[in-house]
Amino acid sequence: MAAANEDATRPQNTRAIMSFLREHAPFSSMDDTHLAHFAEHATLRFYADGDEVLSPNDGVVKRFFVVKQGRIRGERHNEKEDRAETTFEISQGECFPLAALIGERPTRTIHRAAGDTFCLSIEQKAFITLFSESEPYRDFCLRGVSSLLDQVNQRIQSRAMASIGSSNSLDTPLERYALRNPIVCTPDLPVRKAIARMHENNVGSIVITDDQRHPTGIFTLRDLRTLVAQDKSSLETPIRLVMTTNPCRLPSSAHAFEAAMLMAEHHFAHLCVVDDEGRLIGMVSERDLFSLQRVDLVNLARTIGTATHLRTLVSLRSDVSRLVDAMLAHGADSGQVVKIITTLNDVTVRRVLELNLQKHDPGIPFTWLTFGSEGRQEQTLLTDQDNGILFETPEGMTEDQVREKLLPFARKVNDELAECGFTLCKGNIMASNPKLCLSHQEWDDWFVRFIDASTPQNLVYSSIFLDMRAVFGSMEPLHHLQESVLQRIQKNALFQKMLAGNALQRKPPLTMFRNFRYLNDEKKHSLDLKRQGLAPFVESIRVLALAHGIEAANTLERIDALARKDVFDAKDANAWKEAYSLIQAIRMRAHQEMLDKGEELTNYIDPDDLNPLDRRILRESFRQAQRLQQKLEVTYQL
Amino acid sequence: MLEYIRQWLTQRRGNRIGEHDTDNLPTPKSASDQLLSRARVIVLDLETTGLNPAKDEVIAIGAVAIEGGAIHLKDQFDLILRRPELDIRETVLIHGIGPEALTQGHETEDALLHLLEWMNGDPILAYHSAFDQKFLEKTLKKQLGYTLPHLWMDVAELMPAFFPKAPLKGKGLDDWADFFGLEVSERHHAAADALVTAELTLIAMNKARKQNVKTVKDLTEKLHYQRRLQSMHRY
Repeated sequence: MAAANEDATRPQNTRAIMSFLREHAPFSSMDDTHLAHFAEHATLRFYADGDEVLSPNDGVVKRFFVVKQGRIRGERHNEKEDRAETTFEISQGECFPLAALIGERPTRTIHRAAGDTFCLSIEQKAFITLFSESEPYRDFCLRGVSSLLDQVNQRIQSRAMASIGSSNSLDTPLERYALRNPIVCTPDLPVRKAIARMHENNVGSIVITDDQRHPTGIFTLRDLRTLVAQDKSSLETPIRLVMTTNPCRLPSSAHAFEAAMLMAEHHFAHLCVVDDEGRLIGMVSERDLFSLQRVDLVNLARTIGTATHLRTLVSLRSDVSRLVDAMLAHGADSGQVVKIITTLNDVTVRRVLELNLQKHDPGIPFTWLTFGSEGRQEQTLLTDQDNGILFETPEGMTEDQVREKLLPFARKVNDELAECGFTLCKGNIMASNPKLCLSHQEWDDWFVRFIDASTPQNLVYSSIFLDMRAVFGSMEPLHHLQESVLQRIQKNALFQKMLAGNALQRKPPLTMFRNFRYLNDEKKHSLDLKRQGLAPFVESIRVLALAHGIEAANTLERIDALARKDVFDAKDANAWKEAYSLIQAIRMRAHQEMLDKGEELTNYIDPDDLNPLDRRILRESFRQAQRLQQKLEVTYQL
Repeated sequence: MLEYIRQWLTQRRGNRIGEHDTDNLPTPKSASDQLLSRARVIVLDLETTGLNPAKDEVIAIGAVAIEGGAIHLKDQFDLILRRPELDIRETVLIHGIGPEALTQGHETEDALLHLLEWMNGDPILAYHSAFDQKFLEKTLKKQLGYTLPHLWMDVAELMPAFFPKAPLKGKGLDDWADFFGLEVSERHHAAADALVTAELTLIAMNKARKQNVKTVKDLTEKLHYQRRLQSMHRY
């Protein structure tokens, strides 16, 4: 029977509802038979303005609703202010409550009619039928939930914005700011020389101090302008005669807010920051206070890359952290941010290596390898070293002789990296470990043992050594090594299966009832975002990437590559990327908060600290991790 | 719906029309204490060959059921009667049912028996129900000899009873539909008109609940009171 004929035999009202549905996504891309199934199983209900449509007290959600006319608003109780607030609005043609329906749980939001409203709805049975039979519908139901991710990202941004924006950042003590090294001079220096010093240092002000470094005056470009305009004193005048005496000063414990107020009050662009004894320790400028977010990536990278001393590199680490804040605030997604952190870390590692080569070059060409999260370009602020060396054995030397030269050098580099904030690896996965400072042949043999004679124990290392990248030195040797490693893995189905089994060891922290499963009794109410949240993605993706000969180590790039190879459906790939990025974003935000509070960085969070939307989305992200693991189970019949 | 008809036709296969014993047809229910929020009521609209019940005939029946405060689209009635002998020239422009559609319609007795069974004796609501009531009762009597009276309620009375202050331009179905911003998918199509009438009924029932009009009986009394109020105003 032709479609048109079939349509004509449908009752008028069924047809009418079908054509209403056709005007709205996802129905617009659904087949007529599925639309008819929807229309024939629909019920139409009316809700007067303010009527409750769905409530958390109604129990597990059993219906899928579409607004036919009018609007629905989501209402949550704001405990702080003891009033109801609208969290979202759903208008004509839109559907609800997706997350609760898919999560098979009660809604967390009261859904109320805003104005007189008609809703079409179908029961769970019809919903399941459509969900399983109609691809566009299924995609929408899954994607509809993940589209909430955008909201969460916005929230993360606004939070980060607040932490560097007007209110929060100004609560920070001045000592947390990177204070400018003040340009100083003695009171008797002629103005001409003082100006020359300002010019040399490209600054707009100079502080005049006494013998004990107490600031006695300040001379700025504005003072110079006055001086020239009034034409009263010569440039040979001692600066103490033309300086502004008694410059504004604040102790380093003072808040940025006080500094800002003082500047605003007196129209100063600069303030002296002094220690408890009143000695000058730095300058803070208006720009420092209000334009913290203008930390420039290129400039920062250049500064790191050309630093001449280790201590400069150490001091630049705080700029990296500030940059992360700024990037999150400016809407960079977590994938971009981790890559930038990795880039800056790479620059730091290279610079440490270069500075050490300048001092004592071991004289052996080598490639500096990084493994694990750094290898995947997925580093956050909390990072430890996982590195190694791949060297070419010069003719006439044994590998052990090469090691004798390289290991002390590597030791020094590892130690200096630790000073820069890259914690020493507890498992001694570092280039200074003789077992990880190997020639090409040795590495190849190492991987043969690793892959062909794998034991459950050494599979633990798969998350480190199978995600490798060259940071310094020639890239070619690593490329060759990777090629043979990938070939070997692709041929070895057993190894793949073992890897897959290993990847399933870490389950996303959800209970059967889709609640969060906490770590253990000791860490009640805390989730390990890295091990429980990210690892299931990273490890599952790794197995599939290696099995398909993908050389990239970055998880998001691997997902893309798998989608290109049709191993993943494009929509699944996106959902997984989003879920993974979201967990990463929540983890990074937690890191920034810990840093603000001066706490040690950990990967633990208490989901109760998250707002309800974040919690909901985090749960959905974990659910996506479960789906991914299920795919792995099916692929490897585990 | 189609499924339902198909089942019904299968059940009836072998039963020749006329074998149906009218005694076995559902008995109409009276205004009871059944809660409106649970009750099943029929909202019906007929298309006819004209306005005079004495000489005009029913050509299409559209109806939906409201049950538990919701319109269930599975539970609807949408049939054109097979009456090729009828002269429909006068009304064809309004309802759009041409002679061809009529000849393809369902056997009248079949359709009416089906309607009675489907209505299951539940109260019937219609807009200007007197019109539909006269036509349906005449047709049921003529075709099936069925004379049991259903409980009828007029949506045209129901709406002003609950929304006395609604500033309407007129008193028609369209005026109420416009007032509540309802869309009629195809005006003067029996089923579409029945649906929009049912939507108005849902609105009225929502209001009724809030005014403590809880049972079918409460509702008929409210309408009775409304009628008396109206006739008082008239004098």
